[in-house]
Amino acid sequence: MAQTVTINGKSYEINVDGAMPLLWFLRDKLELTGTKFGCGMAVCGACTVHLDGQATRSCVIPVSAVAGKKITTIEGLAENDDHPLQKAWLNNKVPQCGYCQAGQIMNAASFLAKNSSPTPEEIDTAMQGNICRCGTYQRIKIAISEAALELGKEV
Amino acid sequence: MSIENVSRRKFIKQSGLAVGGLWLGIALPNVVMAKLGLASEAAFNPNAYIHIATNGDTLIYCGRCEMGQGISTALPAAVADELEADWTRVSVKQGDGNEALYGPQATGGSASIRVMYIPMREAGAVAKAMLIAAAAKKWQVSAQDCYADSHFVINRNDNSKLSYGELASLAADMPVPENIKLKEKADFKYIGKDLARHNQGDIVNGKLTYGVDTKMPGLKYAAVVHCPVFEGKLKSLDKTAALAMDGVEAVVEIPRMEVPFGSIGGVGVVADNTWTAQQAIKKLVIEWDLGPNKTYDSKAYKLQLVKNVESPAQKAAERGDIEQAFANAKHKVSATYTGGHLSHSPMEPNASVVWVQDNSCEVWAATQSPADIQKVLAQYLDRDPKDILVHVTMAGGAFGRKFKCDYVQEAAALSKAVNAPVQLTWSREEDTRTGYYHSINAQHIEAAIDEDGNVSGWLHRAAFMPIASLFDDQVERAPAANLGDIFNHPFGIENIRTETGEAKRHTRIGWYRAVYAIFYGFAFGTFADEIANKVGKDTLTLLNNIYDNNNDPKQETQVRRSKGALALAAEKSKWFSRDKLPKNQGIGIAVHYSFESYVAMAVLVEVNGDDIKVLEVDCAVDCGQVLNVDSATAQMEGAVVMATALSLRTEIVFREGAVVNSNFHNYPVLRIDEMPTVRAHFIDNGDKPTGLGEPGLGPFPAALSNAVFAASGKRYRDLPFKPSTI
Repeated sequence: MAQTVTINGKSYEINVDGAMPLLWFLRDKLELTGTKFGCGMAVCGACTVHLDGQATRSCVIPVSAVAGKKITTIEGLAENDDHPLQKAWLNNKVPQCGYCQAGQIMNAASFLAKNSSPTPEEIDTAMQGNICRCGTYQRIKIAISEAALELGKEV
Repeated sequence: MSIENVSRRKFIKQSGLAVGGLWLGIALPNVVMAKLGLASEAAFNPNAYIHIATNGDTLIYCGRCEMGQGISTALPAAVADELEADWTRVSVKQGDGNEALYGPQATGGSASIRVMYIPMREAGAVAKAMLIAAAAKKWQVSAQDCYADSHFVINRNDNSKLSYGELASLAADMPVPENIKLKEKADFKYIGKDLARHNQGDIVNGKLTYGVDTKMPGLKYAAVVHCPVFEGKLKSLDKTAALAMDGVEAVVEIPRMEVPFGSIGGVGVVADNTWTAQQAIKKLVIEWDLGPNKTYDSKAYKLQLVKNVESPAQKAAERGDIEQAFANAKHKVSATYTGGHLSHSPMEPNASVVWVQDNSCEVWAATQSPADIQKVLAQYLDRDPKDILVHVTMAGGAFGRKFKCDYVQEAAALSKAVNAPVQLTWSREEDTRTGYYHSINAQHIEAAIDEDGNVSGWLHRAAFMPIASLFDDQVERAPAANLGDIFNHPFGIENIRTETGEAKRHTRIGWYRAVYAIFYGFAFGTFADEIANKVGKDTLTLLNNIYDNNNDPKQETQVRRSKGALALAAEKSKWFSRDKLPKNQGIGIAVHYSFESYVAMAVLVEVNGDDIKVLEVDCAVDCGQVLNVDSATAQMEGAVVMATALSLRTEIVFREGAVVNSNFHNYPVLRIDEMPTVRAHFIDNGDKPTGLGEPGLGPFPAALSNAVFAASGKRYRDLPFKPSTI
């Protein structure tokens, strides 16, 4: 029987070569293009998704390795696109070209789930793997701190 | 400027645009078009469109390309302001590549705002006047009895209201007014305010479509590998193993297309997904004939450039008597500055979809210049440029790279070969290794200082592979015109000579954000600091002295605005309290005028041994009227991030003709932990607005070099300060 993977709450059959990285299964097979290709070697973070809640670089993980697991992409982060990070991103007008921002937000969401009141240094460490060539880092830091406060209120 | 009511024109229907309501086209005056080298025979070539639908929905088409700089928000906001539109009713659409419809769309040179600000405002004002005229007609009152506010026209006599939607079709029958009065600055609602990018909602939920994201039925996916050396070509190809892979459809040789924006030459693989195509590329057995550039070594070349500028070179321009100035000099200061190649490396690699059919060719691409795609594909396919339909997508960064459409031409070659729509996505490695690079460069400056400590003479030699070499393989040095920014620098040194040194091309050179302003800004700003040190003045005082000595009336504005930016950067930073900084910290200052904007930066660093940490950057900006303060601030943040990386460590290295770097691990752009605090301060003088996409890069490297010198006494004259060790 074909293996399946759950993506944003929906089950999909893995009907491709199991060695194909999850990124290309998402982009070229499921046409979920919010997850971006940036480097292909897990050094830029543009392809970040959640694997059972944990930020993962989808450009290097084979789709066979996620069989039976739960994947969340930017499209499924929040039902109404209202995750505190998404709101904080808009509030601080973070994006320029926006290409890396899905990866930034997914990485930050996984990080905040573990550390709800991070220091600026902890944000730096957690977000170091995500490159933004337009230079939105200052706003990313502010937005993450703001979202952390918001998340703190929700708890 | 001309504005035409095109509501009833045929092409509106033919273009599949919404019919009904009011359509206005906005065209630049032919004199402006001619200046841009874009004059056209057609009488009316709109650069933008406004459509007000009968339900009031207002659509503003932006013909200029969006790559994150915010132009597709800033320009429509200028229209909306004059239109008295309700911004929540306005949506913005990217225009397709169509110069007959939109006029010049090539987006570069920080020119969009400079060129389009007034025409866009006038278009909004015309639309408003026509809506008012329509309402006046309906109410049988004079236009003076009516005013517009937030998507309504209001009757002053009885406060009755008609919405823009109700008036749109009637307005389409009103004459286009000739004398339009624009709003006063005090009345601006959107200009100069912090409107959010119109597309940011679709960015944070992943729905915005970039060049790499186009999907359509029957789409095939491709990857490419190029000859690693410029002007080399394919010698032999064994594609057996690649073709044997599941999902691989074709292996296609793509010969070099010998036009500046054509393919450098390589081999493409078409498959049923990108990953398979990328894997198949690795299975190709290729032998290249590396051609005439196979010995190019950028480190050796840089040393040669230094020699070329440290000895007499070809004179570019001269004024005054430089020999006399040096003969009478009390001090002489000289220094040589260098810089390496850079790769644009936008986060979105080159990507497009092209579908070549017998009777059509359709393109979906992240691009800065749809017209160049039309031109190159027309030439490649032997068709009329008008028959190449280009849909412009959002670009995931560009920085000059996506002005050149080699990747689109390659997708066309692949589509033609397999007779299907093909999406070609370059790998990061190909993007890094076979791009269009920022020029490697060297400059040597000698200054004569008179007995009063004034700079009296200036000899400036520059050698770099110029952009012109991309267009003409016979170009062996930068043309004199490329040194115009030295000769016409607002320093206005009375006795000056510029010389251009030999710099033969060995790779493809292309515009990189800020272009020559990167190294001119570095040389001028750092050398000023070195002179100041020599004559025992502080740099701000020395710079002000130099500007005050410029008596050229034609440069009065440039002098005043350069000084203004410098003063603001000093005031807002810790410049005046720099004596109180910790011992290992220093502050440096520099100003640079480029693309008609003025940016001064004060950079605060901490230096521990070899480790340089940028702590704070105060950017003082004079770009005239700011259209969107938030977005302009973002441009400064971005310029600092890019400039920090290129100042400290990013460099493209060539060895045996090929680029050694391959991906972000060995082309280490800036990451979040190195982000300094960036503050942008604007001089709100209401002058005509100028662009900001590039000018932030000019002053930064010098301000950083000066700061490091202040903190440690160590002077860096080479970009990057720490050369790549790969």
